[in-house]
Amino acid sequence: MTVLYILVPIAIALVITAIWIFNWAVNNGQYDDLDSPAHSILFDDDDPAHLAAQKREGDAERDDSDQDR
Amino acid sequence: MSHPTPCYHCGEPVPTGAPWHVTILGEQRHMCCPGCQAVAQAICSAGLESYYRHRTETSANPEAMPRALQDELELYDREDVQQRFAQRDGEEHQAILLVEGISCAACGWLIERHLRAQPGVTDVALNMGNQRLSLRWKDNQTRLSGLLKSLRKIGYAAHPYEPDKASEQIAAENRRYLRRLGLAGLLFMQVMMATMALSEEFNQDVTERMADLLRWASLLMTTPVVFYSCAPFFQGAWRDLRNRRLSMDVSVSLAIGGAYLAGIYATLIGSGEVYFDSVTMFALFLLAGRYLERRARQRTVESTAKLVNLLPPSALRVEADGSTQRIMLEELRCGDVVEVKPGESIPADGTIISGQSSVDESALSGEYLPIAKAAGDQVTAGTLNVEGPLRLRIDALGEQTRLSAIVRLLERAQSDKPRLGRLADDVAQYFLLTVLLAAVVVGGAWWWAADLHTAFWIVLAMLVATCPCALSLATPTALTTATGSLHKLGLLITRGHVLEGLPQIQTVILDKTGTLTEGRMTLEQILPFPGVDADQALRWAQMLESHSEHPIARAFGRSSEQAERCSNEPGQGLDGRCDGQPLRIGKPAFAMALTGLPEPERPAGDGQWLLLAGADGPLCWFALNDRLRSDAHELIDGLKARGLEIVLLSGDHQRVVDRVARELGIDQAIGNATPDDKLAFVQARQSAGEKVLMLGDGVNDVPVLASADISIAMGNASDLAKTNADAVLLGSHLSALLQAMAIARKTRAIMIENLGWATLYNLAVLPLAAFGFVTPALAALGMSLSSLLVVLNALRLTRIRPPVAAQHHSAQPEPSA
Repeated sequence: MTVLYILVPIAIALVITAIWIFNWAVNNGQYDDLDSPAHSILFDDDDPAHLAAQKREGDAERDDSDQDR
Repeated sequence: MSHPTPCYHCGEPVPTGAPWHVTILGEQRHMCCPGCQAVAQAICSAGLESYYRHRTETSANPEAMPRALQDELELYDREDVQQRFAQRDGEEHQAILLVEGISCAACGWLIERHLRAQPGVTDVALNMGNQRLSLRWKDNQTRLSGLLKSLRKIGYAAHPYEPDKASEQIAAENRRYLRRLGLAGLLFMQVMMATMALSEEFNQDVTERMADLLRWASLLMTTPVVFYSCAPFFQGAWRDLRNRRLSMDVSVSLAIGGAYLAGIYATLIGSGEVYFDSVTMFALFLLAGRYLERRARQRTVESTAKLVNLLPPSALRVEADGSTQRIMLEELRCGDVVEVKPGESIPADGTIISGQSSVDESALSGEYLPIAKAAGDQVTAGTLNVEGPLRLRIDALGEQTRLSAIVRLLERAQSDKPRLGRLADDVAQYFLLTVLLAAVVVGGAWWWAADLHTAFWIVLAMLVATCPCALSLATPTALTTATGSLHKLGLLITRGHVLEGLPQIQTVILDKTGTLTEGRMTLEQILPFPGVDADQALRWAQMLESHSEHPIARAFGRSSEQAERCSNEPGQGLDGRCDGQPLRIGKPAFAMALTGLPEPERPAGDGQWLLLAGADGPLCWFALNDRLRSDAHELIDGLKARGLEIVLLSGDHQRVVDRVARELGIDQAIGNATPDDKLAFVQARQSAGEKVLMLGDGVNDVPVLASADISIAMGNASDLAKTNADAVLLGSHLSALLQAMAIARKTRAIMIENLGWATLYNLAVLPLAAFGFVTPALAALGMSLSSLLVVLNALRLTRIRPPVAAQHHSAQPEPSA
């Protein structure tokens, strides 16, 4: 159990790091708007870039199967 | 006309034969006005058509938005003006804009997508919660005025946001609360692990040195929680003790402070129980409850923050040489001459020196029709110039205006506002007295039976075991969840006492204009004379009215064609040529002057009747009225069914007020009431011991809103009304109020259940603790279980289905084929 003499300080060091990161996130405004990101993800399907990427993928697959080319 | 097609864009009824339509999502959709048509076209041509697929609410009508003039927008490009709200970062500028017209999440998508496509814009982020848009742009590639204009094209009004002290302070405080909560949560987990190893129940074979290490480690980690996270409890307790009151904060501080001090003692002597896990857990639970409560409040404060300004941001000053210059409102001085164009708000109190127009004073007086004004008449800041350009000499600015007088009346009303008692604080008093008394008795008994040492540890265990965790969570959790549910239903609660107070209300006072009615003119009836086609008459009327900014003209909707040689006689009507023939629309006498014939008899029926006449005789009657909201009947019936007394209190003419009261079945109707009258009426009711709820919207209602026990403002109310109301009806669905009353009753029931359960738990654990059966592990277990139960019980309030919203969604404008 003597390993506790090392583990307890490590735990304390970890929690201090966690608190520091949390404070950074709060001060950086990460928690200011919890609603909009939840909605915006729903519309990403219609993102022109996303659609274009999907189309490219589809084209690529067709190109692969298209032996005449 | 009874069931007109709703406009695909904004949901307003489309006038018969309206020529406006846009092809959206592969179908032709009808629009109610050229404004909607232009916006819908702009959205489609920007390739953002799928906005219409995603939206869950109809969009805002672009014509209902405050107007912004090109030169006013350009003022925002001025370096000295921009300094107040924008930050410079190299060649990039950054500013926060307040956006109006956001109705659902899809609007956010539309705005962000549209702005990102503009050249020079580097970053756009819209916060849906408070409708603030943070924008970064390169000044050498685009101008702010251009961006504001492009937003307007897709139907949103935006203006720079200058942070006000109050909401900044709340935001900063909430961040501090979140840091407190995070600290308590992270440390709680560590402290829990360390102290669990010490508990006998877990039978960890720790050596004495190891136990010492764990005690010191948990003391080290508990200290920041007590001194940083729990600071608000101690401050609150100190404040309440100085006021000679026992509150929840006092009992919380006693439990935390007592357990922490005893823990230090136990650590120092190296034996005894440490309750550090209970201390940190307690702090975590309570902070979580309070943080949620604060966040709900911050959201409401932000979303009601300055959205619609009564005063225009700028004014057009007339210089001595006759030239005009646009200046910011702050630069205006008494004695200046300003020009106010039709459709603009009047910036300050003044006297008209030239021009003739009518002025919409509905916000200040409740009168829904504009009042005709000519040279020599006084006009008031914050009212709207409707018809013709006016030049006025400024008499009073800022603090001296009539608008400010109402604000002062409001401050007086606020200080007189009665406070409703809060359930939790009443319970806390008895609870604390009982626990303290029990502690003295039990401590004395153990001291007498055993020794001081045993008595100390027993009393400590008792204080921790009975610590009012569940009790102090009982009401905030119920209130927070109910606030969230109500928000979904469309009622935003800005002050805490609304839910507790709603079941106690006896009298409901309603305003008329803008509250029970929609607050604007709508076309109700068209009565053509024999031989005249109604559609043709409406088309002519629209052609004529499209020259006017009068609210009556807006009711006709605008036409793509315009009458020629149109002239406007303020207060009388319009004169012009349509399809080559002279026509007049307006007051019967004015219209018939064209024909020289006697006036035809006015049709029976309420409202404002306008006559369209040609050179050969009268053509058509148009009936206009300030239409009742569709759910006004439902509200009145619901309130009556609950046995509440209903009073209609309005600044409009008694005749009009009586008519509305008759139609809705309200027995008491008081008209011609000035803001002072209204305040006096409500205060008289209150001093008679009644609990009064006020529902209103205008600036003239503000003092009453501030004074009533519970006040609710309409969603489209003036700012001043919204910030001084205890709750805001978003989307102005009146029936949400009835829902709120039902939820408030249920919330009260749940709060009482929670308090009952928490008291029961404490009563049950008290004897156990008194006989020394409660160990730290058991105390922690009991505390978390009782708190969990209370929270789960409160969560039942989220399972309320929103029938109003459901109805609203199904009533979405689908093209009626």
